[in-house]
Amino acid sequence: MIWRIEKRTAALARPHAWLFPVSLAFAVAAGACIFSALGVSPLAAYGTMARGAFGSFYHFSEVVVRAIPLMLTGLAVAVAATMLLWNIGCEGQLVWGGIFAAGTGLYLIPHLPPFLAIPAVIAAGAAGGLLWGLIPGLLRAYLAVNEILSSLLLNYIAIIFMEHLYFGPWRNPEGFGFPGTAQIGEAARIPHWFGTRIHLGLVLALVMAALVFAALRYTRWGYQVRAIGLNPQAARYAGFRIRGQIVFIMGLSGALAGLAGMAEVSGIHFRLQQGLAVGYGYDGIIVAWLARLNPLAVPLVALLLGALIVGGEQLQSVLHLPASISMVLEAVLLFGLLLSESLARYRLVRRAAGEETSAAGKGLP
Amino acid sequence: MAMTTLSSPVLALTDITKRFGDVRANQRVTWTLDAGRIYALLGENGAGKSTLMSILAGRYQPDGGEIHLRGSPVRFLSPAQALASGIGMVYQRFMLVEPLTVAENILLRRGPIRGKRTRDIRQIRELAERYGLLVNPLAPVRTLTMGERQRVEILKLLYRQAEILIFDEPTAVLTHAEIDSLFDVFRQLKEEGKTVVFITHKLEEVMAVADEIAVMRRGRMVSRVAAAQVRSHHDLARMMVGREVILSVQKPPVAIGEAVLTAMGLSGPAGADRLKFQDVDFEVRRGEIFTITGVAGNGQEQLVAALAGLAPMAAGTVSFRNRAYTAARWRRRTGDGLAYIPEDRDRTGSIDAFTLVENFMLTRLDAFGGALWVRRRRAARATAAAVRDFSIQGGGIRGLAAHLSGGNRQKLILARELSRRPDLLIAEQPTQGLDVRATEEVWQALLRQRASAAVLLVTGDLKEALTLSDRIAVMFRGRILDIVSAREAADIDRIKLLMAGLGKRE
Amino acid sequence: MIEDLAFIGQIAVKSSIAVLLATLGEIVAERSGILNLGVEGMMLTGALCAAAAGIATGNPILAVAAGTLAGGLLALVHGFFAVTLRVNQVLSGLALTLLGMGVTSFLGRPLIGIAPGVRLRAVPIPGLADIPVIGDIFFRQSPLAYLAYVLVPLCWYWIFHTGTGLKIRAVGEDAAAVDAAGIDVFRIRYLCTFAGGLGAGLAGAYLSLSYTPGWKESMTGGQGWVAIAMVIFATWNPLRAVVGAFLFGGLTALQFYFQAVGVELVPAYVLKMLPYLLTIAVMILVNVGPGRRFGGPAALGVPFSREG
Repeated sequence: MIWRIEKRTAALARPHAWLFPVSLAFAVAAGACIFSALGVSPLAAYGTMARGAFGSFYHFSEVVVRAIPLMLTGLAVAVAATMLLWNIGCEGQLVWGGIFAAGTGLYLIPHLPPFLAIPAVIAAGAAGGLLWGLIPGLLRAYLAVNEILSSLLLNYIAIIFMEHLYFGPWRNPEGFGFPGTAQIGEAARIPHWFGTRIHLGLVLALVMAALVFAALRYTRWGYQVRAIGLNPQAARYAGFRIRGQIVFIMGLSGALAGLAGMAEVSGIHFRLQQGLAVGYGYDGIIVAWLARLNPLAVPLVALLLGALIVGGEQLQSVLHLPASISMVLEAVLLFGLLLSESLARYRLVRRAAGEETSAAGKGLP
Repeated sequence: MAMTTLSSPVLALTDITKRFGDVRANQRVTWTLDAGRIYALLGENGAGKSTLMSILAGRYQPDGGEIHLRGSPVRFLSPAQALASGIGMVYQRFMLVEPLTVAENILLRRGPIRGKRTRDIRQIRELAERYGLLVNPLAPVRTLTMGERQRVEILKLLYRQAEILIFDEPTAVLTHAEIDSLFDVFRQLKEEGKTVVFITHKLEEVMAVADEIAVMRRGRMVSRVAAAQVRSHHDLARMMVGREVILSVQKPPVAIGEAVLTAMGLSGPAGADRLKFQDVDFEVRRGEIFTITGVAGNGQEQLVAALAGLAPMAAGTVSFRNRAYTAARWRRRTGDGLAYIPEDRDRTGSIDAFTLVENFMLTRLDAFGGALWVRRRRAARATAAAVRDFSIQGGGIRGLAAHLSGGNRQKLILARELSRRPDLLIAEQPTQGLDVRATEEVWQALLRQRASAAVLLVTGDLKEALTLSDRIAVMFRGRILDIVSAREAADIDRIKLLMAGLGKRE
Repeated sequence: MIEDLAFIGQIAVKSSIAVLLATLGEIVAERSGILNLGVEGMMLTGALCAAAAGIATGNPILAVAAGTLAGGLLALVHGFFAVTLRVNQVLSGLALTLLGMGVTSFLGRPLIGIAPGVRLRAVPIPGLADIPVIGDIFFRQSPLAYLAYVLVPLCWYWIFHTGTGLKIRAVGEDAAAVDAAGIDVFRIRYLCTFAGGLGAGLAGAYLSLSYTPGWKESMTGGQGWVAIAMVIFATWNPLRAVVGAFLFGGLTALQFYFQAVGVELVPAYVLKMLPYLLTIAVMILVNVGPGRRFGGPAALGVPFSREG
């Protein structure tokens, strides 16, 4: 039996509010199956996850801590995708943001007046990501190199270079062979609040989300970006400079991811070390698409994913279930989104034997 | 004629009907085709020719009617099934895989079988020679000219033993020499007892090669005549265009002013293998509607794209508002004064997923945006005014353009472009596919525009040209054959002849 | 010096086989227009299933088959989403990687630290193995390495010299043209996606049965991503995939060697970056060079539907 899908008529061809709940339900159901298969009551498992993520203020603060880099990388992916660009390279841009922030913290801050320290670290982080993001942007705009593949490849290069730094020239001389740089000074650390690990990055991420949203919606630049993303042909007709925008958008996207790296270094690890590149860049892709590329929805989805990660860890410590279940749930969530989006656009029809096409030509020829 | 009456038709269409949404592309079309004859299918854009042929070739299924092949009813669910029954079609967009060789494209379905490979290629060569389809079977399709690619398409059909070959505007992409040899192929196919159907706009082609002529208008088959009965291009032109009546559109006289745009020796597009327009000279004056007409595919589209600054020109100068620009500088010209209504209103002129307000800003960011912000409120006011003035119906100014009907969409674009207060308005096929009322509204708007601007109208619709224009330039094969003032009935006849490439004043 | 060369070469080949197998699979998939970024996930799944089947049965053939098939089956998930549902292939592939990583991570837990049931040790090929240097490098390898040697020309022949291969390449270039010729685009794309998964699964099996026998969490260490890069490096040609994979293996081996002898002619991090830098360079050259002679399939990542 072969299934084939056909386009729905225009009424359903537009994105719907129910897509996200449906994919969430899909993921929850799939998770329940997994838990049952592992011999754990799904209720108990989800209860544990929920308590782990929201059980106390401290727990929730950890969710927020995880969500901060996800918000920034999610924004980075979303802003690029608004113009039909795939930035798979957030991981590398995040790493460069971290490298620049750590470098500034280690080697520059001691020579700067204190009031400049935090701004310098933030600017350095953004700059690191920006530069790394410009590469695929330039390659795409001027040499027509596919940005999906180039930005992906650049991730490895960034990570390898970072490893080289903390294993080699930037290694902490007093680290007893521990791979990592020395800690950055207090002056270079962004402030923490509420006695938790929640740091300035949260404000930065929320401000960025609002800024990106406002910029896309209310500025001339944002109008052009959306026009190019929705219909490059019409944008060309209107005389917009598409190449320049590609470079600009990729730079901006990189800078946002760079901020995530900066926040991780200057707010969490205080040094360059293993554990900086743990996949926030890739998770950002999921965040962006679950948020349907809406910058204001990105922080909320990031929180959800953060809760998933923290809840997964809780499963491990309480029920001795593997934390990687959260990864599976993430995957199922994404598949669920793809499925529901596809079903919103198409209808599943069974192909009769021998029939090659099902009602082709729903639109004008 | 004796032959046709003796043999039963190889293919008979009865009452074929096809709808796309609300549009009736084909309405009860009945047609019979005999073996060993060449048929020309004529009609204006949107007359339903391509739809009818796509039904024959199995790409679409008809909503009603029957197809009989050699006396027995058939129903094709896919192009593959039609081809298996001997009906094949060469589309305007060639269905060839470019990096593969000619032979690979021809053998695609079966795949080259080792050992028999040289035999296959010999077979292709023999087939090619028999029909005069000269092309190297081992050459990658990517390296071929359009004419050669077309030969590959024909070979594909012949290799699959097609008996009825359908061509959708086969000459549109060909050079003159290629057209001649294509017609030789047609005659050879006819000799072999095959049936050829080709869609065309070009009258001289019909006279050159067709045995029978069918004309479609608005989804119906309006006439079928043997080519021998057609005495002149005149008859044919009248058949195709119909007996157009100039609608009684009020055309108040307007004083003709200075030349706003003067084109001298324009050729282009730059960088193409073949110039699509050449040595084009004309001027458009304030207060007049100057029309460029011609049968589709004679270079008008490329000329407009170049004038609108969307494609580079190869040579010539443009002077606009008393400033002269070289071909290269014209494209980089900044500043306003020129508005353009593109032919493809859905994909070029507007953006589906944008609201009416957002679409209204598309070419007007300078007016509705500062350096940083977009002034949405101001744009909304302007859009609301446009919606009122042009009575644009549909979900309101916050609704999406996707939900507008064609006529309302065109009025929105028109309103936007007119609101730029241009000195020159270029309108390309502005009423194509619109209903009578919307057409009249667009016409009125264009006529009003004469008061303040020069209007360059590019249309293939002769009725439109005659109704609106002060002067009409006829393009044929990339050149302007003549410029006719559209005042007397005699002019109309001349325009028709010019469109067919005849009657040039030497 | 010669011994060193033989030693480096042997390690190089040994380290390149997994990437080679996965690259071959991905080449087949991408040739048909399906971009599957789930290689890492499929490889991990293959590795786990091969290790598990090895422990359960002790039978090397069953173990290899289990790993290979697991990769193929996982690829069908991507096939369903990419071909039938026509969703974005990048997202679907990423989800597949996540799924593979997550599922293997928790299903593999009981297997960690358990002695592998099957070890595919190097088998010298009589005669060939005694050729100086060459024999050491190429013919004292795992049986799966020999399988890879065979698969490379087979894959190449399949893609470039058979009827099916012709259809695959055609589908990857212009699905509409292929559809017009009456060929089932969907069937070919499913077939190639599945084949791609088989390659990745086999690569995983090689890792958990031969390269480092036994199961370790995320034991592929990013080799699946390397394979995706190597497809571009190979410009979608199985023969050139050998070059890419061997380059990757060679650079890995050089790192080992420099570590072992304590000299660093080229900094290790530069060596590690080299495959990626070269791949980016290849991508640029492909685009700047004359025509699209080495370019990827034109319809890569583009879903097909007759409605356009």
